[in-house]
Amino acid sequence: MEERIKALKAQASEAIKKAAGSLEELDNIRVQFLGKKGELTSILRGMGAVAKEERPRLGKIVNEARSELEKLIAEKNEELKVRAMENRLASEKIDVTLPGRTQALGHLHPLTLTLERIKDIFVHMGFSVEEGPEIERDYFNFEALNLPKDHPARDMQDSFYITEEILMRSQTSPVQARTMQRYSQAGEANRPIRMIAPGRVYRRDEYDATHSPMFTQVEGLVIDEGISLADLKGTLETFLRQIFGEKVGVRFRPSFFPFTEPSAEVDISCVMCHGKGCRVCKGTGWLEILGAGMVHPNVLAMSGYDPKKVSGFAFGMGVERIAMLSYGVDDLRLFYDNDMRFLRQF
Amino acid sequence: MQVSMKWLQDYIDLKDKVTAEELADKYTMAGVPVENVIRADEGLEKVVTAKVEKIVPHPDSDHLWVCTLDVGKEERVQIVTGAQNVREGHIVPAAMVGALLPTGQKISKGKLRGVPSNGMMCSAGELKLDIEGLPEEQLNGIYILPADTPVGVPVATVLGMDDVVLEFELTANRGDCFSVWGLVREAAVLTGLPAKYPEIKVNEDDEASAAEMVKIGIEARDLCDRFSARVVKNVKIGPSPAWMQARLEGAGIRAINNVVDVTNFVMVELGQPMHAYDYDEVKGHSLTARRAVAGENLHTLDDSERLAKGEELVIADSEHPAGLAGIMGGLESEVTEKTTTVIFEAASFNGPSIRRTSRACGLHSEASGRFERGVDVTKTCRALDRACQLLQEMGACTVTKGIVDVYPEPKEQVTVAYTAEAINRRLGTDLPAEKMTEILESLGFKVTAKGEGFEALVPTWRNDVSLMEDLSEEVARIVGFDSIKSTSPRGDMMQGTQSARQTFIDSIKRVLVSLGMTEELSFSFTSPEALDKLCVPEDSELRQAVPIMNPLTDEYPLVRTTLLTSIMENAVRNFSRKNMDLRLFDVAPVFAPKALPVTELPHEVVKLVGLISGRRYEALWNQPHDMVDFYDMKGIAEQLLAALSISKYTVEAGEHYAMHPGKTAVFKKGKEVIATVGELHPQAAENYGIKQPVYIFEMDVETLMKYTAKSFKYESLPKYPAISRDLAMLVDDEVQAADIEKVISKNGGKYFQGVTLFDVYTGKQVAEGKKSMAFNLMFQSKDKTLTDEEADSAFKNILQAVEREFQAELRA
Repeated sequence: MEERIKALKAQASEAIKKAAGSLEELDNIRVQFLGKKGELTSILRGMGAVAKEERPRLGKIVNEARSELEKLIAEKNEELKVRAMENRLASEKIDVTLPGRTQALGHLHPLTLTLERIKDIFVHMGFSVEEGPEIERDYFNFEALNLPKDHPARDMQDSFYITEEILMRSQTSPVQARTMQRYSQAGEANRPIRMIAPGRVYRRDEYDATHSPMFTQVEGLVIDEGISLADLKGTLETFLRQIFGEKVGVRFRPSFFPFTEPSAEVDISCVMCHGKGCRVCKGTGWLEILGAGMVHPNVLAMSGYDPKKVSGFAFGMGVERIAMLSYGVDDLRLFYDNDMRFLRQF
Repeated sequence: MQVSMKWLQDYIDLKDKVTAEELADKYTMAGVPVENVIRADEGLEKVVTAKVEKIVPHPDSDHLWVCTLDVGKEERVQIVTGAQNVREGHIVPAAMVGALLPTGQKISKGKLRGVPSNGMMCSAGELKLDIEGLPEEQLNGIYILPADTPVGVPVATVLGMDDVVLEFELTANRGDCFSVWGLVREAAVLTGLPAKYPEIKVNEDDEASAAEMVKIGIEARDLCDRFSARVVKNVKIGPSPAWMQARLEGAGIRAINNVVDVTNFVMVELGQPMHAYDYDEVKGHSLTARRAVAGENLHTLDDSERLAKGEELVIADSEHPAGLAGIMGGLESEVTEKTTTVIFEAASFNGPSIRRTSRACGLHSEASGRFERGVDVTKTCRALDRACQLLQEMGACTVTKGIVDVYPEPKEQVTVAYTAEAINRRLGTDLPAEKMTEILESLGFKVTAKGEGFEALVPTWRNDVSLMEDLSEEVARIVGFDSIKSTSPRGDMMQGTQSARQTFIDSIKRVLVSLGMTEELSFSFTSPEALDKLCVPEDSELRQAVPIMNPLTDEYPLVRTTLLTSIMENAVRNFSRKNMDLRLFDVAPVFAPKALPVTELPHEVVKLVGLISGRRYEALWNQPHDMVDFYDMKGIAEQLLAALSISKYTVEAGEHYAMHPGKTAVFKKGKEVIATVGELHPQAAENYGIKQPVYIFEMDVETLMKYTAKSFKYESLPKYPAISRDLAMLVDDEVQAADIEKVISKNGGKYFQGVTLFDVYTGKQVAEGKKSMAFNLMFQSKDKTLTDEEADSAFKNILQAVEREFQAELRA
C-alpha cells in the first residue's frame, strides 16, 4: 500500500512537472489523482481494507502526499497562469508607433488669443471692456478727440470715408468719447472710468508686411481725481511686464498726439535681441509698442467732463504688433490670409 | 527734417563733447525724435592718408610690390600690394589693421608670399567713393590723393565725408524744430552747452526804396497773417559758395543758384519759408495774397498747370497768380540767369489752408510742411534781413532801403497761468517751482510770479503751447519721463467687466473650437463681384451695401453685408494652396445702411458663419477616408445650439440664396430663423471654381443670444432603470424624419423619454420608393421600475400612430 502511494505520488509529481501545455491539462491531472474518483482518493476510500492500526499512519501518508501534490499543482498552476499571461501579452502586441486616431482640433485666431490676454490683464486691473460702432461719425473719431478738420495730425491717419461726416473708424478712441458722453448725459459727469476699447479699425494703408487697411486696436482710458503721468507709467509698465515678461525693459519718450498732453511713445526692449540691437529693432534695441498720454483738457471738456476736477490718461496699442512680437510673426498679412497651415499652429 | 552735425555745430560747440548718437538719443528722449543717424564715413574710421616712401619688388613675385608708408607716425608701415599704379611719393588712402571697409572687407595683419603686410592701400571702389571722372586705374587700382594732401589724417576728413546727418521724424506740434535754429535751442537746453547765433545785420547799400518799387497786399486776411518783402538789385546769379551747398546737401536740399539757395538756407536755418521773385517778371510790381478765382490757371515751378478751385491762397501779381502761396512759386516769375532784381517774400500763411491745398494738388514742399505746422509770425523780417545779408556777403546784390511789411493784426503773445502744484499733480512728481521756472526759461519762456502761482509768457515760436497742461509737458520732457517714478492709480475699486454680448461671442468661439472649427479673421470689405459669385440675387437687401468714398482698391469698394463672401474668399485661397480640408468659422459684424445714400450710421449686426469641406477625418491608416457631408455641418450647428442652451427649435427644409435648394435646413424658433445650414449652391461653387462640396452655415448672434437660456439648473439623475424598444419600419421615401419623430413624441405616453433615429436604409432589401428607418425609443418613470407590459403598451400606441400617419409597415 505504502509503495503504491509512493508510486502514485511520484507518477503524479512527474505528470505535474510535465504539464507544460495548459491549465486544462493540469486540471486533468488533478482530477486524475485528487478528484473524487481520483487514484489517490480511491486509496483513501480503500482504507477499509487496511488494518485498523495501520490506518492512521497510512492515512497520514496519503494526506501528506495529497497536500504535497496539491501544493505542486498550485505552484504549477501559478506558473502556467503567468506563462499564459505572458503568451497572451506577447500575442497581443501592437505597433504603438502607428499614429493615434484623431479628433478634429479647432483653433482660435492668433489675434483673438492675443486680445484675450490683453483683455484678461486689464479686466483683472478693474478695467471694463467697452464697444462702439465701427462705422463712426467724424465727430467722435476726430473732433471730440481734439482733432479738428485740417489738423496736420490727421495726416497720421488716412481714413476710409463713407460721407464727409461718416467714416470707418481709424482708431477705437471714439469709444472713449462716447463712454464719457454717455455718463455726462446721464448726469454722471466726472464719473471715474477705467475702460479698454478693443476692436477693428480701418486706415487707408497699402496692404504689406507691416500695414493693413484693417487691423485691431486696444485703447484704454482711466479717469479719476488726481490721475497722473506717474500712474500712466505704472499701469502700462505692469501691463507690458505681464505680456512680455518681468524682465522686459520699458521706456517712455515724449511725443505728440492731439488728444493727450503730455503725450508719450512707449518702447519695450527688443524681444528678439533683448536690447542689443538687431534687424527687428533696426539696431536701436527698442521697439515702439504703445502710444499714450494724459487726456487733453479739451477732450474731457468736449465730452462733458470737467478738466479742473478730474484728470486721466489714455493709451492705444495694435494687437497685430503685439501678436507679431509674441509669436515671431514677420508678416502681418499672415493674420488676414487665414491659411490653414498658419491658423493650425495656434 | 534732416540736418548735418556741422550745421548744428556752426551755432553750438558740440565737438568732442557730445557724439551724434548721444545727441540723437537726447533729442529723442526729449520728444524731438531722431529717426536715423547717417554717417557718410561709415567704414572709413581706420582709413588714413599715407605717403608712399619706398617701393621695392616682392622678392618672390613678379607682380607684387612691397611698400613702406608714412602714416603720420614715427613708425613706418609696410604694406604689400598687387596694384600697379602706385609710385613713390604718392599720397594714398591706407586702411590700417582692424579697419572694416564699407565693402565689408576686414583688414588684418598678414603675410603675402612670406612678406608681412600690415594694412591695405585702397581703391576708390573699395572705399565706395563716388567720384566723377576718376580714371579706371584709380577706381580699381589705388586711389591717388592730391599731392598737397596732409599725411596721417582720416581720409574721411580729407574727402569732406566726416559729416554726420541727423534725420528727424518730427511730431506735428513742434513746428519750431523745423529749423536749425530751433534744434540748436533744444540742444543747448539738453546738453547745457551755450548756443551762439549769428548776428543778423543788413547793409541797405542801395538808394532805391523797396516801398516805392513794390506793392504788397493781403486780400484774404483769414489765410494770410503777415506778408513782408525786401527788394535786392544788381543781382549776379551764380552758384552759391561751397559751404552753403554743403549745408544744404546735409539738409537734403539740392543747390540751384545763389538766390534760391539763400532762400532755402534761411528757411532751414530759421524755419521761415521764403520765396524769391524775378522783379521784372512780376506784372505791375505788385504781389497780393488772395484767394484764387475758380478756373484760374496756376502755372507752378514744376511746369504743371492746374486750374484753381477757388479756395487756394495764391500770391498774384496785377494780372495772374504768381505762385501757390506757401507751396510752390509760379513759373513766370522764377529767378533765372537773366534775373537782376529780386523780391524776397517772407510771409505767414494759414496752416490748415496750406494743408488743404497741398493735399488737393498733391504738392508737398519743404515750405508747405513748415506752414502746416505753423511758423513764427513775428520773424518774417528777420528772415528777409538774413537772406539779404547772405546774398550781400557773396557780393551778389545790393539791398534797397526798407522792408515792405503788411501785418494787419499783430498777434499778441500768449501767457499761461500755472501753479507748481497743478503741474506736479498732473505729472505725479514733486518738483520745486524753481526747477520748473529754470526749465521754462531755458526754453525761452518768461516766468513771473503772479498771485499764488506763476505766469509764463510763451515764446513766439511755440504756437503749440497755450495751457498749463502744455507747460507740464515741457517740464516733463526736460526732466525726462524716465525720471518720473511710476505709481498705480488710486481711487475706488472698480469692477472689471465685459458686456454680456461679448461674453456670449467668446463662448460661441470656444464651443466651435471644441467642435474642431478654426477661427478666421477677415476684412470688412466686399464688392458687387463678390456678391455675384455668391449668387446673391439682384434685388437682395445684401446688395444695399455701404459704399466707401475713397476705397483702397477696386477689389473692395463696399462695406460687407454678409460674412459669406469673406469666408468663401478664404476657402478659395486655401484650396488654391492645396489646403483641401477646411473647418472654418468667422464671427464679425456686417453693416446694413438705414438708407442709401448714407446719412446715418448703419446698423452693425454681428453674424456667425461656418464652412467645412474635404475629409471628415485626418487621412490616417486607421480612419475612414470619407468626405464631410451635409450632416457633419448640421451636427456642428446642432451641437453649437445645444452648448448655447438653445433647445426646442424646429428644423425644416428651406431656402438660402447661396445654398443647394435640396440641401438646406432652416432652424427656427417659432417663425424666427435662428440658423441656416446647407451645401454651397453648385452654381456658386462653379463661380468660385471649387471642385469639392462645401457646406456652410449662417447665424445671427443677436438672435442666438435672445434664445440662449439665461440660467440653468441641472436635471436629477433617474433612480429607476429605463426600458428600450427598437422600432424598424418601412415608409415612403418622401417621408421626413423630423415628421416621424414629431408623431412618435406626441404619441409616446407619459413614460416616453426620447427617440433616436439609428438607421436609415434604402436598397436591395427594400421595395423601390420606400426606405427603412429604425428608431430607438426610451421609456422611463421617475417613480418606479417600469414593467415590460407598460413599455409594450406605449410602443403599441406609437406603432399605431406611425402606421396611421405614414402608412408605415413594421419590419420584422
